[in-house]
Amino acid sequence: MTPALLGLPVGWLAVFFLAPIGIVAAYSVNVLALPPSTPGFTLGAWHDFIHSGVYLGLFWKSVKMSLIVSALVVLVAFPLAYYLALSGTKRKYILLLVLIAPFLTSYLLRVLAWKVILGDQGVVNTFLFWTGIRAAGHPISALLYSRFAVMLVLGYVWLPFVALPIFVSLESLDTRLLEAASDLGATRRQAFRRVTLPLSLPGVVAAFLFVFIPTVGEFVTPSLVGGTSGYMYGNQIVDLFGTGFPDWETGSVLALFLLGVIAALTVVFARFIQRDVAT
Amino acid sequence: MDAALSPNGRRLLRVFFGLVVVFLYAPIVILLIFSFNNSSLPAFPLSGFTLHWYREFIGNADLRASLETSAVIAALTSVGAVFLGTLASVALARRRFRGKAIASAFLLSPLVIPYVVFGISLLLLFHQLGIPRSLLTVVIGHIVISLPYTILVLVPRLEQIDASLEEAAYDLGAGHLQTFRSVTFPLILPAIVSAFLIAFTTSFDEYAVASFVVGTRVTFPIYLYSALRFPSQLPQVIAVAVVVLTVSLVVVIAAEIWRRGAERKLEVSPS
Repeated sequence: MTPALLGLPVGWLAVFFLAPIGIVAAYSVNVLALPPSTPGFTLGAWHDFIHSGVYLGLFWKSVKMSLIVSALVVLVAFPLAYYLALSGTKRKYILLLVLIAPFLTSYLLRVLAWKVILGDQGVVNTFLFWTGIRAAGHPISALLYSRFAVMLVLGYVWLPFVALPIFVSLESLDTRLLEAASDLGATRRQAFRRVTLPLSLPGVVAAFLFVFIPTVGEFVTPSLVGGTSGYMYGNQIVDLFGTGFPDWETGSVLALFLLGVIAALTVVFARFIQRDVAT
Repeated sequence: MDAALSPNGRRLLRVFFGLVVVFLYAPIVILLIFSFNNSSLPAFPLSGFTLHWYREFIGNADLRASLETSAVIAALTSVGAVFLGTLASVALARRRFRGKAIASAFLLSPLVIPYVVFGISLLLLFHQLGIPRSLLTVVIGHIVISLPYTILVLVPRLEQIDASLEEAAYDLGAGHLQTFRSVTFPLILPAIVSAFLIAFTTSFDEYAVASFVVGTRVTFPIYLYSALRFPSQLPQVIAVAVVVLTVSLVVVIAAEIWRRGAERKLEVSPS
């Protein structure tokens, strides 16, 4: 009975999820190759990747951007989740829904909104011209097509989602522990630092990873609002598979490297994520 | 004394919460305002009310075709993902077997793959097998992405309902299929509807993976993405955006409220 139940879903993923990654691996070592190159095992592309300043530099740039976004978003989301879970408000599930609802709407359209807001002829700049705060024809150009724009939009897009795991971990916190702490003479600040914060840490770590993992390989947002300075590692992968001068071998190396880093992170922090997913 | 928050802290957090909600909804409201603005550029000052952009998008055949394509893909995806997800969830929640932890981790693993990596992987697979890119190749990819979400919705619900109800059905001579149809399925129906909606919206909105495996019939997100590069199309894209955002917000909130109500009604009164 069990093999019959699991056979189809596991088989589907084996064929359309695992096998494709295997093919990427084969391309990365040139066992498979795009004509006119001839196939033949070589680690050349891996060697070039590890010794290339360009690709690794771009990878670190993406990691840095993604780390900053994840940290800021968790910092903003924590007080929100804290308010919902521990303030005793009766409408907490409605407020939670209000917070999360934007996440459930179209990703591209939310990015589009910022394009409309931040552009040279966009809402912010024309508002500044109109009110005379800035002279017409002198827009703040750094708003759009910059690293700032990419990070702002990524933060905006992921913020609602991140509150959820933190909320879940704070919600399951036994409030009697806080009462006990206060009975024993702890101030609120001490109770927070010694009880609430450590106990909510799994949710915080999960939240952090839930933003970091999808954003570090992001290519859609940077290609829409990033310009050249917001160009990320994911864009590089797309370009290597693009129509101009495709280099599937190098592209496969870049893709597998990213996948490896994320798989390692997932395994190391699996218990945090699992605990969250189970609730 | 409240050990978690002082009265001042509570007030401060409430204000902060309000400000964040404003930050989250302001861009959506700005889109709404400019969708009615009588100017081909979304810029201040506002120059008058018009429904022109809505009429234009209704008359735009390419745009309507892309919405239709996305709806077909999302429908096929959600049926496929919910079917596979239900099989997997029943196995994970009801059966004991060796390697369950590994099976569960494997079934959830598409959650953490970067879409750019999955997109090119699928592209290479179809290239290797000589399968031309089409509507179906997008569906195949979207089922992989949505499957874990359906499992995350269905397993907790299955664990919530009392397995002895199913055992009673077996004792009374019902087979596996019959038990599922007349006992399990009605009890998990609200979760199945949620899973269906999640898979549908995930697929309808998905750009990254689709961009690698889409055929000649473009999906709505792919149409949007290319329209974003032509400023002249911006106002009508904003009008579509408003319609899609509103519909999805209403559907999501209504579905959540319905699910809560339905599950409460289904709750077996404790003996």
